[in-house]
Amino acid sequence: MIHRALIALLFAFLLAPVALVFPMSFSADRVIAWPPSAFSFRWYIALFNETALRQAALNSLLLALGVTLLSLAIALPAALAIARGGFRGRDSLMALLTAPLLLPTIVLGLALLIVFAGYGLIGSWLGLAFAHLLITLPYALRVLSTALATIPAAVEEAAASLGAAPGAVFRRVTLPLMTPGVIAAAAISFLVSFDEVVISLFVVGPKLTTLPVAMYRYVESRTDPLVAAVSALLVLFSLAIVLLLDRTVSLRKAIGK
Amino acid sequence: MPHLTLSALEKRYGAAAPAVASLNLKVAKGELLGLLGPSGCGKTTTLRMIGGLIPVTSGQIDVAGRDVTALPTHQRDMGIVFQNYALFPHMTVAENIAFGLEMRRTPRAEIKPRVQQALDLVRLPDLGHRKPRELSGGQQRRIALARALVIRPSILLLDEPLSNLDAKLREDMRTEIRDIQQRLGITTIFVTHDQVEALAMCDRIAVMRAGHLEQLGTPHEIYEQPATRFVADFVGRANQIAATRDADGTIRAGALVFRGPPGPPGQVTALIRPHRLGFAPAEGGNTAAGIITRVTYVGDLLACTVDCGGVSLTVEQPTLPGLPTPAVRDQVRISWRIEDTLVFPAE
Ligand SMILES: Nc1ncnc2c1ncn2[C@@H]1O[C@H](COP(=O)(O)OP(=O)(O)OP(=O)(O)O)[C@@H](O)[C@H]1O
Ligand SMILES: [Mg+2]
Repeated sequence: MIHRALIALLFAFLLAPVALVFPMSFSADRVIAWPPSAFSFRWYIALFNETALRQAALNSLLLALGVTLLSLAIALPAALAIARGGFRGRDSLMALLTAPLLLPTIVLGLALLIVFAGYGLIGSWLGLAFAHLLITLPYALRVLSTALATIPAAVEEAAASLGAAPGAVFRRVTLPLMTPGVIAAAAISFLVSFDEVVISLFVVGPKLTTLPVAMYRYVESRTDPLVAAVSALLVLFSLAIVLLLDRTVSLRKAIGK
Repeated sequence: MPHLTLSALEKRYGAAAPAVASLNLKVAKGELLGLLGPSGCGKTTTLRMIGGLIPVTSGQIDVAGRDVTALPTHQRDMGIVFQNYALFPHMTVAENIAFGLEMRRTPRAEIKPRVQQALDLVRLPDLGHRKPRELSGGQQRRIALARALVIRPSILLLDEPLSNLDAKLREDMRTEIRDIQQRLGITTIFVTHDQVEALAMCDRIAVMRAGHLEQLGTPHEIYEQPATRFVADFVGRANQIAATRDADGTIRAGALVFRGPPGPPGQVTALIRPHRLGFAPAEGGNTAAGIITRVTYVGDLLACTVDCGGVSLTVEQPTLPGLPTPAVRDQVRISWRIEDTLVFPAE
């Protein structure tokens, strides 16, 4: 009983800022103030006219989609090679590919800035995609490896014994069985990329920026509830993705906990 | 010409002692050969080499006179039933069975009736639409068997297909598999560590021990004329008596003295099957006096432990109505035929 209450309290504490965003976004005030003196849709309308933020949101969306596809395209063969390939150094390869997760993102961002500056990659799609891949790949690889590990080798061997060549085994047995993992990896890659601020801050440029960076810049100079409206939409958007994920696969199963 | 030939087959995992070594076997067309041995003796390893699931370290595998040693699994045309079924969980039972036919590019119109035939064969005609997880363990076994048989493989490989089944289902499946195998005349390798299963089903049994072939023979030969103490001990139950053999074939174990087949004198182990010992006198056979120390009733059998001059022997008798039931502390004479005494040099 006390446990339950404690957990509820903890959740309330963690979620309070998120929940606060919703009433705030309907504020009719000119500046962020709690509680709002009146409610309105004015900041949602203002958001509609804020082209810079809208462009940034579109950029983030495109970037996250591209990064997600690239993540899968790289992580899927890598996970297969690590799980099924009989070569030495599989563990080292896995460690290498998941290492970026261990570095402080600010260090990663700084390193990328130094490297990218020399090649004119700052503020380019290529640079941003590369930077994001660095942090989405470890997640995608982990989730896909877990998904692969839960497929018994005997099932693939059975397919081979029935006359399926390696390609057919993958298409007809392995891939369908790891579909939940692929969906989970895609969703996580998408959310991580869409959400990324720290590294993005280093590699965005004047012509190309992402939504989180644009929001960050916005609150640096202005104090109106517009960002609350953006945040509210973001929360709903993320929630939709997570719910979708949860309906197709159990998230916990995908992460392997 | 044998259908399947293993020549000097060897498998090493890493630097350790070989899991299978210098294995030579010839299996005739339509024969059911059992691979029998204790856990870890290399049965599965042998089966996986035959099926092409693991590469051989050295040696050769021929099927119908053709060297298949380097052929990948999907080109070997062997049906494999795995120890844990390995059905495709995302396909229905019918799709599972159809898979091999699709891989063989069997015409669509032919697939359906053949799937149904296979389902009928394993006596589960109505389960085609189910998913594997909706089947019992025994049903999954049978579907796995149907899936392996439907492709009409040249060789069928079964890895402990009856383990984890309850005793009754096990016995049913035993006769069922044997029936199907006979009807289709399909060359079959059957891995088991259960000697009763091996004796009951196989045309011939290869008893393996620590990667080596210990004895190859018919169930009758394996049971009645075991080549080594290991085989005698592993197949069937036996009283084991540490003893010495005199030059004339007399065997002495403390106060217990009896006759066995002649052989070189020295330290030996004598083995006598419990059900070959009896309380009725045997003409010209061995006899020994003793005291019953324990009586165990197991329904169809009565097992009496008899102390004969310090040697403990188990006597198994079928329970027959009207027969006097021996009791603990009864003085008895037990007897057995001389040829039922198996003698091996002590190890
Ligand atoms: N992949 C492997 N790597 C290393 N050693 C292995 C491997 N597979 C089997 N072995 C070893 O090879 C030996 C034979 O194993 P195998 O699986 O063939 O035994 P088995 O007769 O099938 O036993 P069981 O009745 O327990 O299934 C064992 O000592 C085992 O530890
Ligand atoms: Mg085994």
